[in-house]
Amino acid sequence: MIRTIRHFTLWAALALSLAAFVYSAGTLYGIHHDNNLIRQLISGKDVAVNKVISGEPELRLARAFYFKQKHRYDEALSTLSLVMDKGDRNFQAKARYNLGNLYLEQAVQQAKTININAAMPLAGLAKQAYRQALALDSGNWDAKYNLEVAMRLLPEMDRVDIPDDSPINQKSQLWTTVPGFPRGLP
Amino acid sequence: MRIVLLLVLSLLGCSCSGSIDEPVSYFNVETPRPFGYVNGDEIPQRIVIETRSGISLQPGSLPGKGQINRWLNLNRVTIKQSGQRYQIDLLYQVFYAPLEVKSLTLPGFTMQLSQGEKSISQNVPAWTFTLSPLRELVVRQSEQGEYMRPDSPPPLLTDTQALYGLAASLSVAVLIAAYLGYLYGCYPNMLRRTLFKQALRKLAGLSKADMERALTIVHHALNSLNGQPLFSNRLDDFYRRNPQYLQVSSQLAWFFNYSNRYFFSDGMIAVAQDLQQLKDLCEQCRKIERGSR
Repeated sequence: MIRTIRHFTLWAALALSLAAFVYSAGTLYGIHHDNNLIRQLISGKDVAVNKVISGEPELRLARAFYFKQKHRYDEALSTLSLVMDKGDRNFQAKARYNLGNLYLEQAVQQAKTININAAMPLAGLAKQAYRQALALDSGNWDAKYNLEVAMRLLPEMDRVDIPDDSPINQKSQLWTTVPGFPRGLP
Repeated sequence: MRIVLLLVLSLLGCSCSGSIDEPVSYFNVETPRPFGYVNGDEIPQRIVIETRSGISLQPGSLPGKGQINRWLNLNRVTIKQSGQRYQIDLLYQVFYAPLEVKSLTLPGFTMQLSQGEKSISQNVPAWTFTLSPLRELVVRQSEQGEYMRPDSPPPLLTDTQALYGLAASLSVAVLIAAYLGYLYGCYPNMLRRTLFKQALRKLAGLSKADMERALTIVHHALNSLNGQPLFSNRLDDFYRRNPQYLQVSSQLAWFFNYSNRYFFSDGMIAVAQDLQQLKDLCEQCRKIERGSR
């Protein structure tokens, strides 16, 4: 009896490990296929949309990279916005850095044509994206450099030297504006 | 005598004043170099504080995670407590684009310690450091306008995990298949290579009184090797198929002769030397099957 059970267990284990082998072979094939698509996008050739939609976030990041190279900013932005919360820390930092670049490049172009009203919010968004990228990965030198580009483009007002008594002022202002305790309510 | 008295008094004085009355017995702020930072750098600050027993730190009095001011973020606050010793690690991050090397200050704050209902404050001083610019004042231009760093190339998918899975499942499958093959007798050649090994193992425990059994064992090994029962008159045929055993032909002839006499004539007495000779024969055959002779 025990021998029979052992025998069947062995066959079942063999079947299971073969199934695992087939599964991981399939996964590996999928990864290689996706990597080929990513390489294709980096080299500047577009791929079919449905392959990207069903694919990994890395594939979407690559497609956004492709759109950015072709100056198709709106499509790049909509593709990037789908992968912002996906992947690990490193991936998110990269996605945010590329998003910052997307905004900054447009801001620089707008600033070149003296369209300051359009350039300012774009530079602000770029700065925000770079800050987020740097909070995730403080060793990203490219993000540090481009954040400095964005900050020079849209200098921030220094509010460090606000006098210390401002909370008191605010407080007294608050008391003067409060009309008093309401009375007569049930 | 007077000097001794003075010494004793001064020692008493030391022990009376000092750390017993102080609520904080040790306080230190450890900061890295105060220069060479750039936009986006993280600056760690470690505060080590040791309090008298009964006094505890109020974690709420530490600065909270998030934006401290326009150019400074506090990314992480960790408090490690061991007994009355607190180690507070603050990780700041600077976002400031100076035009030249600029001196900035991490703001100080006041920590609250509590002893029952009483509250004691401990000041953490502000810390000044310098921040350097990354870009030159007159910026170079590229074709697109302002020079900026390019996009980070999208990463390729990692296949390490899938490769490990593939290798692991394949090796497990191969091992199980090999064992099943062994159970199903798929390796007759491998079994033939261990015939005399098994015979030698069985012979090892036998004495001259078990001569009958010893002879049977060797016969069995030779029969298995031959694929059918081997008799002395078919030895030529056996040598033709297994020429390597010709080296021990004289010993084999002796074995068949001795076995014949033992089983079919009366009054045969086995001696220890015969058993030894049998073991020697087996040893030689083992070397041949192993391929070392």
